[in-house]
Amino acid sequence: MLPSRAFLSLRFAVTLLAVSPAVVLADAPLHQRIDQAIAAARPDFAHQAAAPASDAEFLRRIYLDLTGTIPTAAETRAFLKDPSPGKRQALLDRLLTSPEHARYFAMVLDVLLMERRRDKYVPHEQWLEYLRSSVAANKPWDQLVREILSSDGADPKTRVAAKFYLERQAEPHLLTRDISRLFLGTNLQCCQCHDHPRIDDYKQAHYYGLFAFLNRSSLVIDKKLNLAVLSEKADGEVTFQSVFDPAKKTQSTGPRLPEGPPLKEPVIEKGKEYIVASTAGGRAVPRFSRHALLGPTLARADNESFKRNIANRLWALMMGRGLVHPLDLDHSANPPSHPELLKLLADDIAARKFDMRGFLRELALSQTYQRSSELPPQFRGDKEGMEPEPTSYTVALLKPLTPEQLAWGLMQATGLTDAERQALGPNASEAALYSRLAPNVAPFVKTFGSPPGQAPEFDARLDQALFLANGPVVRGWLTPRPGNLIDRLGKLTNTDALVEELYLSVLTRWPSAEERKEAADFLAARPKDRPTALQDMAWALLASAEFRFNH
Amino acid sequence: MWCSYACGSSEHNISRRGFFATALGGTLGALALDPLTRPAFTHELNKQQKRVLMIWLHGGVSQLETWDPKPGTKTGGPFQAIPTSVPGIHVCELLPYTAQRMHHLALVRGLNTAEDDHGKGYYLMHTGRRQEPAMKWPHLGSVCAKLLGSSDNPLPGYILITPRGNGGVNSEDAAFLGPRYASVALSDGHAPANLDRPAALTEAADQQRHEFRIHANQRFLRSRRTAQTEAYTHSYDQAAQLMRKRDLFDISKEPPTVIDRYGRHDFGRHCLMARRLLEGGATFVKVMHTNYDTHHENFDFHIEQLGEFDRPFATLLDDLHDRGLLASTLVLVLSEFGRTPNINRNYGRDHWSRAWSIALAGCGIRGGSVSGKTNADGTAVTEGQVNGGHLFHTYLSALGFNSKKNFYIEQRPIPIADPKAAPIKEVLA
Repeated sequence: MLPSRAFLSLRFAVTLLAVSPAVVLADAPLHQRIDQAIAAARPDFAHQAAAPASDAEFLRRIYLDLTGTIPTAAETRAFLKDPSPGKRQALLDRLLTSPEHARYFAMVLDVLLMERRRDKYVPHEQWLEYLRSSVAANKPWDQLVREILSSDGADPKTRVAAKFYLERQAEPHLLTRDISRLFLGTNLQCCQCHDHPRIDDYKQAHYYGLFAFLNRSSLVIDKKLNLAVLSEKADGEVTFQSVFDPAKKTQSTGPRLPEGPPLKEPVIEKGKEYIVASTAGGRAVPRFSRHALLGPTLARADNESFKRNIANRLWALMMGRGLVHPLDLDHSANPPSHPELLKLLADDIAARKFDMRGFLRELALSQTYQRSSELPPQFRGDKEGMEPEPTSYTVALLKPLTPEQLAWGLMQATGLTDAERQALGPNASEAALYSRLAPNVAPFVKTFGSPPGQAPEFDARLDQALFLANGPVVRGWLTPRPGNLIDRLGKLTNTDALVEELYLSVLTRWPSAEERKEAADFLAARPKDRPTALQDMAWALLASAEFRFNH
Repeated sequence: MWCSYACGSSEHNISRRGFFATALGGTLGALALDPLTRPAFTHELNKQQKRVLMIWLHGGVSQLETWDPKPGTKTGGPFQAIPTSVPGIHVCELLPYTAQRMHHLALVRGLNTAEDDHGKGYYLMHTGRRQEPAMKWPHLGSVCAKLLGSSDNPLPGYILITPRGNGGVNSEDAAFLGPRYASVALSDGHAPANLDRPAALTEAADQQRHEFRIHANQRFLRSRRTAQTEAYTHSYDQAAQLMRKRDLFDISKEPPTVIDRYGRHDFGRHCLMARRLLEGGATFVKVMHTNYDTHHENFDFHIEQLGEFDRPFATLLDDLHDRGLLASTLVLVLSEFGRTPNINRNYGRDHWSRAWSIALAGCGIRGGSVSGKTNADGTAVTEGQVNGGHLFHTYLSALGFNSKKNFYIEQRPIPIADPKAAPIKEVLA
């Protein structure tokens, strides 16, 4: 056996050599294998790929992706001047373990899991804190999902995790849809009434298999606890008919995952079905709970859909588009842009026991992540339209800032964050600063956020432009205040130094010669109202496309 | 069991050709109209801009005190029926001005929506669908904003004039169509938020900062232009256009005599603003008149409320007609539901959806027509029974659309109107 195996692997290596100059072995770090897969997918990769991102591009991108805001002018200066070759990796490792990352990633998970539903049963602050502490402890994704899917809201220690169920009123159809979309990457909604007529992989039996974990559960206001909690019956079988079936044949299913085996359910002696029997105003607790089985059955390394979904979602977060797109339509007729890469990512994240931090680190280390978003010169101008498609990942994709990134980014760019940090003095911990600034985010979520219960989608509307252009929020932040941007700029008498400070603060880069001149001309034209001219110039950069997108 | 009919198999009356055309067009955007129908829509738009005015009588107006009076019966109440400009059609005497415009109006008297809850009735009458746990449907206003609106129009596609409450975007109204098509509420007829340039910012300075912004964009977008960056930069152009249309939201620009004709009360002013907006190119304007939830003293309240409604509404019809706009403006007078024929012990009428009426006028509507009938005391529909789904089909048909078409959301066809219902032919021109 040995010689033939060696021969095979040699042949494999030779094949790789033939398609790409960069040979990557199977035990190479994930980021190298990502780059290999992206390069190998395009015969003309070298011609198409954008240059590596500049330090400034990388700095702004990694800050926004990992902490949800942009760096301070001082951090930017220091990073851009730092000559050490390992500075990107050092920054990445610092950010991934920073309290800012845990805070930001909690917001990302919140939007993913709750889709901006209104708070009714579990306060948002508690839920965010639960997610923040989970990220800070690098809780594995499978464990987090099991906690969320297993809590019934009655135990104070785990109640907060039940928010996922409770804010959806424990409605089993809504939960079936959202669990299939958010945790399995498959939107089974159509299968409520029949097999999906367009997607062969999606069956009505899959829908009802998931549904059967939840159909016995309902939301009750428990009188004793005075809280909304899940109550579960010990009986209730799931039957369904296809609306397309003229014979109206009734089928039935127990709880099972799509593609998964049927679960064995214990037979409970008659009369002993309940630990706590249902009473008026109380919750019922069955001896055998189908609901309790869902988390441990679904959130597993051997569940292909589960690991593909999280790998694809984290990829989309960093790279700007899912390998499977849309994120919740993973099926054989909508294959990933890079099928083998998705398999590699899914296996990798499962193998690293759903360590999201380690996985994000590998994505960020890849050349694919660290490519420039500037289209290579050969595709510009009259060659427009010839550029490689976004699914090629040969040029970094522009990502519109989320409402949170926009709010926190604007607070940093205008120096509101600096001013608050200065005001807090020695007490300026991440938590203290957060609690001072967090209330400012709400108007951005209201203006730029997707409606409750819908997946985020970018939209540029005139009410948003009016909010930024004429609204009191940004205008207030551009009013001079000790330590903020306009205050700092006002104190600089050297125009060139002023322009540098402005560009470093807002756009996280040095201004070009052209920009230095343009800014100097702008100020020179308004000698009499310099303070407002500074505000207007800063506003123009804040409202620019360069600021609005993570590039 | 609920079914959204959202999957587009042949059982849902969707052609295979439509599917393939859409699959090809799918890359154009996550959401597009059926490409087979789109050219037709565009063509119609070019020929004639159409628009919609919805008057929403909040709380549930009584059909017996408006469109389907039953004088002299046990349930009829104290009011008489009066003749209208159309021989043979009578309405309640509380609507003397409107009665004289009956030749513009069509009445649907066979409505049975089977939904007596305010919230659910509101949803049903705005979406043509019942509430479903895992599916949200867009409001008619959002659908019209999508189908009738033009991306060049800086006015919000779906404008809602409310007596009070918060202004702003109600992003949920548009459901899967996206917040771009959501309603923008003008609380008490105030202009949308942030429409005015900040007081401290001169026009010249505003101009200069935008020029600086545009220069910065040009540099950045030389090598990074995408559909999303285009949409973002365009949103500022649209904002500037809307700022130039600021006066549309200011009825003080109208002569005092005109304000008098509409009446110097909220509903009168709001109707006048609706006329200004429709004239100024708005696609869908909803004016809300509140409150008709008359569990107590139904008759006194209807005297008061309809006394406020009747003249401004008739004036608005006249103005639209005089300006040649009525033929291209679909007018709807709607409510969550009607009110019980039974008069309760507080002289009130309660929620009632089993036999009630609405009125339509304008674009695509046969003026002076009536569809459906109720029995002598108004407790049941005896002829031409329809529900909210039929109404939705009727509105779309009146606007010249094939109401059996689909929206496409990420390649999923979604019927614009409930496939189980159809247009009400009797009221269509």
